[in-house]
Amino acid sequence: MSASVFLSGLSHWFDDFQVLNGINLEIAAGEYVALLGPSGCGKTTLLSVLGGFIQPTDGQVWIGSTDMTNVLPAKRPTTTMFQDYALFPHMSLRDNVSFGLRMAGTPRRQRYRLADEKLDLVGLKADGSKRPHELSGGQRQRIALARALAVEPQVLLLDEPLGALDLKLRRAMQDELKDIQRQVGTTFVHVTHDQEEAMAIADRIIVMNAGRVEDVGPPARIYREPATLFTADFMGEMNHIDVRIINSKVETVLGLTDSLDLPDGVGKLCVRPEALSIDGNGRSLGNVILQDATFLGSYIRARFAPTDAPDQILVAHLPPTQTPKTGTVLKMYVETNSFCYFPDNMEKQN
Amino acid sequence: MTRSFSWLYLAIAFGFIYLPVGALVLFSFQDGGLPVPPFNGPSLRWYGEVLSDRNVTSALFHSLLVAVGSSAIAVMLGFFAAYGLARYVLPGSVFIRALLIAPLTVSYLIVGLGLLIVLTRMGLGLSLITVGIGHVVINLPLAFAIIYASMGAQHENAERAARDLGATEAWVLLLVTAPMLSPAIAAAFFLSVTLSWDEFIIAFLLTRFDITLPVEIWSMLRSGLSPSLNAIGSFVFLISVAALLLLELTVLRRRK
Repeated sequence: MSASVFLSGLSHWFDDFQVLNGINLEIAAGEYVALLGPSGCGKTTLLSVLGGFIQPTDGQVWIGSTDMTNVLPAKRPTTTMFQDYALFPHMSLRDNVSFGLRMAGTPRRQRYRLADEKLDLVGLKADGSKRPHELSGGQRQRIALARALAVEPQVLLLDEPLGALDLKLRRAMQDELKDIQRQVGTTFVHVTHDQEEAMAIADRIIVMNAGRVEDVGPPARIYREPATLFTADFMGEMNHIDVRIINSKVETVLGLTDSLDLPDGVGKLCVRPEALSIDGNGRSLGNVILQDATFLGSYIRARFAPTDAPDQILVAHLPPTQTPKTGTVLKMYVETNSFCYFPDNMEKQN
Repeated sequence: MTRSFSWLYLAIAFGFIYLPVGALVLFSFQDGGLPVPPFNGPSLRWYGEVLSDRNVTSALFHSLLVAVGSSAIAVMLGFFAAYGLARYVLPGSVFIRALLIAPLTVSYLIVGLGLLIVLTRMGLGLSLITVGIGHVVINLPLAFAIIYASMGAQHENAERAARDLGATEAWVLLLVTAPMLSPAIAAAFFLSVTLSWDEFIIAFLLTRFDITLPVEIWSMLRSGLSPSLNAIGSFVFLISVAALLLLELTVLRRRK
């Protein structure tokens, strides 16, 4: 009950504006993939192309081993879970969930039985005769999921499904979505602009920006070794350090001249705030002065100015037990192998 | 002080609106030959007279038939027009919309005369059907405007979901769009019924042998005032009120 997805050379224009730009992607059967990117990056358009609601200007959509580029949504083995759930307000939950089966001509008794199974899957078995307006946001969300799964699609498309829920409920629903995906084994393509959600939920993340695919890979790789500067910044806070390499000699405002093996050129060294510490582990970055510190529960976000380069602000995440005073001079260390290097002209090479 | 003034104002305003209706209904129970004070009664004599008058009862039945039939057609056409204009990008859709609403501004006399000329030119005899056509012409813009106004984007997503789940266009309209818009459709229908029910000019111009109730009342009026006219008027009022109540109940119940 799951199929692979293959996109080749996909481009789409809205009038003069190019929303998708040469997208090539492969999604394996049964995979949970997150399409991640800022607003307007084309991720929702890409999902609409997968669902058949938009005909791409250029390129092909293959689902399984069939070319689906010009197939209507009704005839595709995909279903979409819409951002606003799009439940039918005038129907009971059971009728909502069994709607797709009704359209497929399944007899009433059988489709109600199958609908009850799906209601059970999302934990709302007892509420089959209720109407959507009697439910909370999270419950509506589950009904939308049950309805989309009831027709046994090979690919389920989720359009920012958790966007309208509060943080706590969102985290709970993430776990639930993942569990359900494992149970049914359907390929899930999940659009989100929340990088934490993408990392929590997906086997693989596809980072999009301005209609292009920036990076594709498992969450840990995307976060720790981003392919582009955009991905690096989008996945979480990053310290940028300007760097110049001449004749294999590395020059930065922080020293750091040794043991970085980089090609000649100008670029940025990036390091995550959690790779910086003041506890003496790793390589030294010299003396820094604490500018300010913000307590954020599980860590303290602290801003430091190196004594040698006061304009190069470094952000570090310190354990919440350490509370140094503002203005203190401290020694800063960085985990080995935690740097990413991006040459300045890389964007143009793409 | 101001509070009692507002109540007084309210009483006067409603008195102005409902006193004639009240007087009409009151003198339908008159026990005597003229619907003028002093009031003698009450008596159901005129109601009995009216209900045993074949002309009146058949006109009443004709009016109901025309009202329900023409409203059903007007609402259906209005619904399809609204759906097409709300969901599809059509060339000149602003113009089409204006053209659909425009008959609202044309006087019933013009609509009636126009139809009369066209229908006689085409050699079609005047009947209840021609009145029905006239009432569709005047009620379609209203039905279209009401249904179009409530056809929002939130319904569009439900329609997409239905299509995604394998529904054909006909099923989408029947199982999703129409039920979701049922309050607006009911409102348009009952409003059309009340308007068609007591419409006189078009009905007068476009009927010949089978006439509707307002036309019957008019022909009775020519032989002078009689409490039987009050009785018929009360009937007309009662049915209009019933239609409005039905509208309130169906629409308000869904809003809850």
